[in-house]
Amino acid sequence: MFQNRAEGLALALPAAIFAAIVFVLPVIILLSGGLHVGGHWSGEAYIRFFGGSLNRLVLWRTLELGVLVTLVAAVVGYASAFAIVGLSASAKGRMIGLVVLPLMISPVARTYAWFVILGRTGMVNKALILVGLTDRPVRFLFTETAVFIGLLQLFLPLMVISLVSALENMPRDVVPAARVLGANWLQIFFKVVLPLTREGLVIGGTLVFTGAVTAYITPAILGGSKVLTLVTLLYQRVTIANDLVSASVIALLLIVMSFGANLLLKRLATARNRT
Amino acid sequence: MTSSLTRSVVLALLLLFLVGPFIVIIAASFSGGDTLAFPPQGFSLQWVVKVFMVQSFRSSFALSMFLAVFATFAALVLGIPASYALARYRIPFGETVRTVVSSPIIVPGIIVGLALLRYLVVPFRIDVILALFLAHTALVLPYAVRVVSASLDNLRSDIEEAAVLLGSSRLGAFFRVVMPNIRGGILAAFILGFVTSFNQVPVSLFLSGPGVQTLPIDMLGYMERTYDPSVAALSSLLAFMSIGIVFLAERFIGFSRYV
Amino acid sequence: MKKTLIASAAVLLLAMGNAHADEKTLTISVYAFAQDAYGKIVYRPFEKICGCKIVVETGNSAERLAKMEANKANPVIDMAVMSMADALEASRKGLIDKIDTSKLSNYDKLYDIAKDPNKDGMSIGYTFYATSIAYRSDKATVNSWNDLFSKKLAGQVAFPDVTTNQGPPALYMLGIAMGKNTPDLKAPIEEVGKHRNDIVTFYNRSSQLVQLFEQGEIWAAPIGRFAWAPIHKLDVPIKWATPKEGQTGGMNVMVVTKGSKNRDLALKFMDFWLSTPVQKGLADALVDSPANKDVKVSPEVADNITYGADTAASLKLIPSAIDLENRNKWLQEWNAEVAQ
Repeated sequence: MFQNRAEGLALALPAAIFAAIVFVLPVIILLSGGLHVGGHWSGEAYIRFFGGSLNRLVLWRTLELGVLVTLVAAVVGYASAFAIVGLSASAKGRMIGLVVLPLMISPVARTYAWFVILGRTGMVNKALILVGLTDRPVRFLFTETAVFIGLLQLFLPLMVISLVSALENMPRDVVPAARVLGANWLQIFFKVVLPLTREGLVIGGTLVFTGAVTAYITPAILGGSKVLTLVTLLYQRVTIANDLVSASVIALLLIVMSFGANLLLKRLATARNRT
Repeated sequence: MTSSLTRSVVLALLLLFLVGPFIVIIAASFSGGDTLAFPPQGFSLQWVVKVFMVQSFRSSFALSMFLAVFATFAALVLGIPASYALARYRIPFGETVRTVVSSPIIVPGIIVGLALLRYLVVPFRIDVILALFLAHTALVLPYAVRVVSASLDNLRSDIEEAAVLLGSSRLGAFFRVVMPNIRGGILAAFILGFVTSFNQVPVSLFLSGPGVQTLPIDMLGYMERTYDPSVAALSSLLAFMSIGIVFLAERFIGFSRYV
Repeated sequence: MKKTLIASAAVLLLAMGNAHADEKTLTISVYAFAQDAYGKIVYRPFEKICGCKIVVETGNSAERLAKMEANKANPVIDMAVMSMADALEASRKGLIDKIDTSKLSNYDKLYDIAKDPNKDGMSIGYTFYATSIAYRSDKATVNSWNDLFSKKLAGQVAFPDVTTNQGPPALYMLGIAMGKNTPDLKAPIEEVGKHRNDIVTFYNRSSQLVQLFEQGEIWAAPIGRFAWAPIHKLDVPIKWATPKEGQTGGMNVMVVTKGSKNRDLALKFMDFWLSTPVQKGLADALVDSPANKDVKVSPEVADNITYGADTAASLKLIPSAIDLENRNKWLQEWNAEVAQ
């Protein structure tokens, strides 16, 4: 540790000042726009926003999608992470490479692919009809299901890699030990594995949740105007009506959701660790 | 733990879900038909060729490349000293500095883009390209600080203290002792920043003007205008570019250790 | 290394700025469909004549209006095309200027209805179009606007969003078909809301419909005639309905942005676009129906566009002023009944 404060500040300040001017300040001005309407401070914009049933519905849908994607990603993530951790070192490397691969591909392209796969004449419908699960094509596009699938594929890799590294840091012998002591798999998961990998779950969960609630491309392409989320609603309000007040309200909601998820999950991680 | 059969099934399903769409895109790129469909009708290279003929793709690719390279570079120029200060110095309001510098990662991109457009670009008549450059730099900054900080934390600080004691200047110690040791981390941060900036959509959504579009925004618009497989072909080309970069990075610096 | 990079970044930034300044550029904002055809018939030939560069921004009319309003203090575009109603709103908000028609040599060749559609001198019609229903003839028949909600088409219809150019006219015709034709469009909006789950999506850009028809996602949609050509060309049997209540439609107009620095160039461009060969080229490509009465087209082309003043006059249109007066009400009603 160097003690020279001036030198330290001189090194750190350019980045901080840059972020403050280019980023923090404009965002704060935008957020204040929703609280400062018609020349005075008031919560009027918020009251009006929540008065619209469409707005409430969109907020609810966004939260619901975020929670659902996070939960399913956690379940699938644990199953996958267990399978990956058990692999040999070289197979594990390749497997992680393949899991990370989608992260390197433009989200526009990935969503575009789902538009074809989930279409009425797409592969999913062909397979469903072939297997006999349905006799006429199921509608996926422009439904919440399509948005859910798109978001899950977009953010699942983040959960898988978080959980893989968490499982790798778990002591090797705890599961066999619990087994010997007569615990069943359910007990082992909830009493042993979950507490020991909580941090990985929290990191993955935060990334997936914030990613899902703030995504634009997936709800825009796969959901359209029938499945608006907060972000697509914000975009629509600004581009069609030049409505900065609603945009400001939605912006604050989104930031609160991101920060909230962050704090909540961090709390969960540390509070349980203390007991 | 699990039987090898269940494991194979789980992994196969996972890969089908994660990588399947990518295969659809690649297959559609070489379609002989006029529309995006799977399985593709026939085989041809016409759409791959068309990608290079579309003028707007060329200019938006150039803009995205420019942004990804220079914004990441600028973020590192700002981020490396900041990371170093946060790791090695006891500075007042250190946590505040860290929060401010990493805030762009928490605030949704679409808000950043809108805020910059309305409160920086419009009132101060800043060029859209400059605004995009600033926005992308702010966006990459948190990644730069995170990855470089991690590298610094793994590096023992007594080496550079020793160098200083032996008469090296603080700056000299940094360049001769610290830099060589965190080179891998810096390169990893550069690649991560490059990919983040290159694929970025929400920030650039509002920050675009007539004739000034990043590649992903251009692709979104193209999809709304025309429905031919050239966007698929372009996506495949970009994906191979990203994969190539990451593969080389993994080869030479062990990229995945840093992410 | 660092210095060279910074220096080259600076040079690049400057170069990019200079590229803007050096060449004369005309920035226009237009609809997203048929940009390939416009490029070939309008933009490239004009660039050759003027020795300038045309920069194109695309979006729908409402988006354009919102963007012009946001950039009012420092206008980005020189010339735009939009719906008649949006042009009237733009004029009321002080976003556009009077058009000096003495500089348009082709002005006298226009049909009278196109010369000054809003009677304020702020806009000039360059094309009009009929709006009806395109439908899969192998799946259903459409003889009335009510047929959009027939059993056969349930779950297979795309309807224009209320904020688009096609939205209000389609609702208006639906109202006529229902026998409940009021300017507030209350009855048809409620009807659409009732059938919300039978509608695949509320579309924002006509260009998206090609993909939806092609992929079999939709079997019917109210569309403007300008979007007909690519849909007609698809491999599926699609017909243009002639509903018994008649067809609706609209006129698209050109405007010049207030504060634009390239006014003369913009007027030259508009004059070029309105000229007989260009209007004929666009008609032959089945993109835009001519507003220039000197344009003569073949019977096949005439069949596929909205040709002639008589056809245009037969369309049931919503007057701009009524549109403006009611659009907020429509949107509120729509958000309450349909959007959720």
